[in-house]
Amino acid sequence: MISGRLAFTSAILLCCAASLAAQTRMPDWSGQWEIVGAAPSVSGGFKDSLDQVLKEMQWSPPNKPEVQARVNVIDAEERKRIEAIQRGEDVAVTGPTCTFGFPMIMIDSPLMFEIVPTPKETALIFSGREVRHVYTDGRAHTPKDELWPTPWGDSIGHWEGETLVTDTIAVKSPFPDTGPDFLPILAAGGEAGQAQLVSYLSSQAHFVERIRMVDRDHLEDQMTIIDPVNLTAPWHLTRTYRRVANLHRMVYESCEGDGEDRNPIVNGHYTIRPPRSRATFPTPVPADAPAGQATAPK
Amino acid sequence: MKRVLSYALIAIAALLTAGSALAHHSFAMFDQSKTVTIQGTVKDFRWTNPHVFIQIMVKNDAGVEQEWSIEMTSPEHLARVGWKPVTLRPGDKITLNIHPMHDGSNGGQYLSGIGPDGQPLIGAPTPSQGQAK
Repeated sequence: MISGRLAFTSAILLCCAASLAAQTRMPDWSGQWEIVGAAPSVSGGFKDSLDQVLKEMQWSPPNKPEVQARVNVIDAEERKRIEAIQRGEDVAVTGPTCTFGFPMIMIDSPLMFEIVPTPKETALIFSGREVRHVYTDGRAHTPKDELWPTPWGDSIGHWEGETLVTDTIAVKSPFPDTGPDFLPILAAGGEAGQAQLVSYLSSQAHFVERIRMVDRDHLEDQMTIIDPVNLTAPWHLTRTYRRVANLHRMVYESCEGDGEDRNPIVNGHYTIRPPRSRATFPTPVPADAPAGQATAPK
Repeated sequence: MKRVLSYALIAIAALLTAGSALAHHSFAMFDQSKTVTIQGTVKDFRWTNPHVFIQIMVKNDAGVEQEWSIEMTSPEHLARVGWKPVTLRPGDKITLNIHPMHDGSNGGQYLSGIGPDGQPLIGAPTPSQGQAK
């Protein structure tokens, strides 16, 4: 009986040890990370100007001529919008989403993130509550007839020493009504959150990343974008991530319910704000109401 | 004050659908060409999503106190450079540099400030990435 318990205990310990050994082979990328050159400012924009961002990124997308022509048209529209803002016209728009999607979440987003490497999967968890799953268990990409595009795509990967090599396909724009072949690549900067379109990708875009730690406080992502539809050659980008200095836990943006905070902290104390004057959702149907009758939003 | 989000990227949807904007942010209400300095007393420090607000009482030219609403970025972004829900407290005497409202109302976009201790508030525009207070 005792030897049976010992054998059982030994088996458990061996199992734990094997698991621990597997875990210890994973690099320690713990902590929170932010993109160098895309850090937000306290004013609501970005610390770096758009010109600085473009210079630092050294972006030179090998756009096909027809793609570059469309980029130029869109940027011309954007310049008109900025000029209108400078004249004091309210031409801005609002939207309820916090979704950046891939690859923008990796190359020019103000959101911080954590990376959780495990032997079979590495998760990248962003403060907008987006998550990338990179499967490293040896699987292939999802079969074509089971795959559909999403804003984060289908990612598999493997480890080369302490470098995570990822391969991502089936990415689509996170924005509505853009169609399947307009995945925008933007640079953003400045106090007013000015953005510039530098390219857009098709549904055939294929992404390869090499993510590694370059020193204790910096990670690097060497990304290659291959898009035979929109690019004339592979596009190589390198982004650097810096350890967040003053925060040692994940804090999420509040994106649910249009991000409007009904339970704000005022002067350090939890409070409850009165309901908005215009309800967003239908109010509950009274218990004695006829079936199918809903109360209209007020 | 109109709710704003800080992500320029988000607005691409509008650009693509309406052909009018790359930026989601409603910074249009702030006059980016002007910087105004206001001095006053903190009434409330609202640590709210999606953006944080400083409610500050400021005396106008006639000596009458008026409430101003100064908008910052999100709690998550502020926490990353060292701000806390109690960084400012009611009664604090502070000085703020802001982009004022285009319409002349008592509000603006936070740029930088001097705290009650006479020191720059966290996240002043410096090359470093924030100084814990």
